[in-house]
Amino acid sequence: MARPTPVIRAALRALACALAGCAASGAAHAAGDAAAGGKVFATECAECHSVKEGKDKKGPSLHGVFGAKAAQREGFVYSEAMRSAGLTWTPANLAAYVSAPAKLVPGGKMKYDGLADAAQRDDLLAYLAATAAR
Amino acid sequence: MDIIDRLRRRALPLVALAAGLLALPAHAVPSYARQTGMECSGCHIGAYGPQLTPAGVRFKLGGYTDSDGKDGKIPLSGMLLADASHTRKPQDPAPDHLKSDNNVSFDQASLFVAGRASDNVGGFMQITYDGVARNLALDNTDLRVVASTAIAGHDTLLGLTFNNNPTVQDPFNTLSAWGYPFVAPAAGLGTGGASALIDGGLGGIVAGVSAYTVVDKDWYAELGSYRSMAPQLQSRLGLGRDQQKLDGNAYWRLAWMKDQKKQAWHVGVFGWSARLEPDRTAPGPVDSYRDIGVDAGYQFLGTREHVVTVFGSVTGENLHSGSDGSRSHLLEQRLNASYHWQQTWGASSGLFSTRGSDPAAATRGLLLQADWTPWGKEDSAAPAPLQWLNLKLGAQVWRYGTFAGTHVGASDHDTFSIFAWSTF
Repeated sequence: MARPTPVIRAALRALACALAGCAASGAAHAAGDAAAGGKVFATECAECHSVKEGKDKKGPSLHGVFGAKAAQREGFVYSEAMRSAGLTWTPANLAAYVSAPAKLVPGGKMKYDGLADAAQRDDLLAYLAATAAR
Repeated sequence: MDIIDRLRRRALPLVALAAGLLALPAHAVPSYARQTGMECSGCHIGAYGPQLTPAGVRFKLGGYTDSDGKDGKIPLSGMLLADASHTRKPQDPAPDHLKSDNNVSFDQASLFVAGRASDNVGGFMQITYDGVARNLALDNTDLRVVASTAIAGHDTLLGLTFNNNPTVQDPFNTLSAWGYPFVAPAAGLGTGGASALIDGGLGGIVAGVSAYTVVDKDWYAELGSYRSMAPQLQSRLGLGRDQQKLDGNAYWRLAWMKDQKKQAWHVGVFGWSARLEPDRTAPGPVDSYRDIGVDAGYQFLGTREHVVTVFGSVTGENLHSGSDGSRSHLLEQRLNASYHWQQTWGASSGLFSTRGSDPAAATRGLLLQADWTPWGKEDSAAPAPLQWLNLKLGAQVWRYGTFAGTHVGASDHDTFSIFAWSTF
């Protein structure tokens, strides 16, 4: 049987999520492959971010990012754009931000063009969700 | 101009090296890690400078200004380097300040003032004590002013670099200031005695400014010019009293680069056209140098577990002597590759070839290096409170197929060395 396309997988997850009421939790991306997401993180994110609790680099620690309000990590210097964005890191917002940071938060300081591959984004979010659970 | 005279002038850069006029270039600078909150591995292949990852290239082109937004970082770093070397046959004459063979030397100690002054101004200045020549001197310096804007819908970075060594401002590890090998034994013979003017020929004893731009993160263009420092100023800076004097000259660079996260590429062209008075104390005809080259690099970065790089350059030089009207040329070829496992264990090799109209200029050889860098990564920093300390231990084998124009006895110059290199 052919593997569902990323769009179909996302739709199925959205449906399952709506039925389960998990909009603001990392469970929304449990269908992503966390192990593969770890590799995506290492390739795309790890120069500037850590998933260790309290370990800020040029970017803030992403430990426990799911469900957190944006720009709330004490001691990290956020851009004014991020501070005033009023975002909560729901899976949808995280996916949108990873997809195109400058589009969701214009004027933010993250110098990253975005991750275009939806499947990789799902895997990455699954990895971030898994690290928060550790 | 006779061959001996020409070789003597071409060999000036290495003489300068031996005399400590231009010590080894700046490498990993931990004050940048403190400034950005990133580990050494974020910007450097193998978690140790100077080979830059795409993030390192962006940091440099951005004027060394990027940061984690926190103030109060002290923009100072230090570097120590020592080596021990053995040559197949003792050198005759022995290198300056060293024995003819089996040397153990403390090569250098450097202080770096390296960091950002504002969102638009940053740079580094290196002051080096040469432990072999026992000389303190101003070393590589690169100060930048940058601004980001959009021009016709294209993200554009505009910058100025003020520096004292042509190619020190280059963001890739293919040109001379940052090219492979990144370290060499003090008693070694390097890539031979002949080199192009752009290959460190006037490094340290000139001052110049280049304007550069980066468009859409992919295109890099630079145009600049240099002036010779006055001998009195050179002397005050610990650089000796070189009497050559640059007249009109233009340094230029064009490159395309692509960072695809898993891998990165660049390909470029570069050049330096310069008119040079051989001796400012005896004004006369000037020599005209035209150096031009092509270079390319590839990095497989993946998850940073296995990192492979391949870099190469070809530099050609045409020299028109003002004194006798003669013309000569030189061709330098470099090809090197490296593999790093877990950004800790490294193996690299480099092929080098120099040849020209002067048969005595020909040197060809192979360099092999193995190294270990235990720290500089998120999961393996040095123990607190020394977490900013980084260390590279390595061994090199230099093999020569041709040296100074002859195959006979070339292998006598084969050199084995070990080195210890630390930054903090």
